[in-house]
Amino acid sequence: MEGFLKNVLLLLLFFPTAHAADKVLMVKYLNTAWGHVHQNASRYSTSLTTVSCGHPIKIYEVKSDWHKVGAGPYTGYVASDQLSDKKPTCVQDKYPRFFDDLKLEITQMYYWGKLYDHYIEGKSRLK
Amino acid sequence: MSRALLILLIFTSFAYAQKNSEELVDFSSIKDVLQKDRLDESAKIKQEKAEKQRIASERAKKARFNIPDEVDFWEIMSELWLVKNHQILKWDFQKPDFGLEGAFSDFLEKQGLFEKKFRILLLDSPNVTHFALPTSKNSYLFILSLPFIRTLDLSKLEISLLLMEDMVRADAELFKSHVRPTAQSLLGTNYAGSKLDLKKIELVLKKYDEMILDKGFTFSQQFEVTKHMDKTLKNDQELWGTYYRMIRKIDILVKDNSLYRNLPRIYPSPELQLNWLAPPKRKGP
Repeated sequence: MEGFLKNVLLLLLFFPTAHAADKVLMVKYLNTAWGHVHQNASRYSTSLTTVSCGHPIKIYEVKSDWHKVGAGPYTGYVASDQLSDKKPTCVQDKYPRFFDDLKLEITQMYYWGKLYDHYIEGKSRLK
Repeated sequence: MSRALLILLIFTSFAYAQKNSEELVDFSSIKDVLQKDRLDESAKIKQEKAEKQRIASERAKKARFNIPDEVDFWEIMSELWLVKNHQILKWDFQKPDFGLEGAFSDFLEKQGLFEKKFRILLLDSPNVTHFALPTSKNSYLFILSLPFIRTLDLSKLEISLLLMEDMVRADAELFKSHVRPTAQSLLGTNYAGSKLDLKKIELVLKKYDEMILDKGFTFSQQFEVTKHMDKTLKNDQELWGTYYRMIRKIDILVKDNSLYRNLPRIYPSPELQLNWLAPPKRKGP
């Protein structure tokens, strides 16, 4: 009886937290040719899945550098600058057959997505 | 009996109406009547609209087979080359944040180079020291070897000068002009009704290999780039001095370190660059 009560208490404690964490705040779209949903909020963190440009991504938590997201069955992190509010114009959509016929292997898509994690990006401004 | 006849009549008229709605009406047989009722004009508009829709749909179908044009082609090819050569270049590695982004954008602004977008990919390999890969206008994609900048102990300013040199080469389209003759048959074309010739893509990527790993730039190209840097930097003697000392460092490196012995083949040659940069000697009295 005591064990049962403990389990119920644990459920009551954890269920609302888990539910709140999975609440979809908005939907954004990947804006790079390919990208990764990372296990942790770091570009070196393990990739849970590779997604292609324009893929809708559920946003659970908004932070300045990384968003906590959901893509398919995976919950992880995507760099904020790789997400757009509106569906972007993707090269795969502009040249659909060309990208199909390139016959990219899964590892190549993986590394293409990795490129955007490694780029150091910047822009000189107009003073 | 009459009820059955009525059902049959309704059924046949319904089937007839449905069949007719799927076809364009042949108006020629009732031309005079239509002209009288001014219905021929409406029929003409309908036919023109249908033709326009057909053409638009055919165009959209054909456009699916477009090969990237000048705006997108170079960026796609450069990234594809990076993906296919990730083992040689070793860019997928953990590195500290050097603060290059801020340092380089500040440097560009000081040089009056505004609205320039750049991406830098650090390599954990001495195979390629530094290069600007072809991309779209006012956008630069640099690859930069971390072992190279560590061996030379380059400062952020020196790295910026090295990247600026690559920018000058990119602006002069020296890389693109090497690949373009091979890429021309692909650039912005359409292959509807045939297959994408993957051999042509492979040839383009081979040209990338040739340029980055083997041939590099010619003496005359290197002379022009060095002279451009000389002219631009001479306004700031301190900066010019930093550039000159950096070239001297590279010259010593290629002579002393066997890992970088091939560098003068890609960028000929630091020793000559120093000569080109050196002020002309005064003639004796």
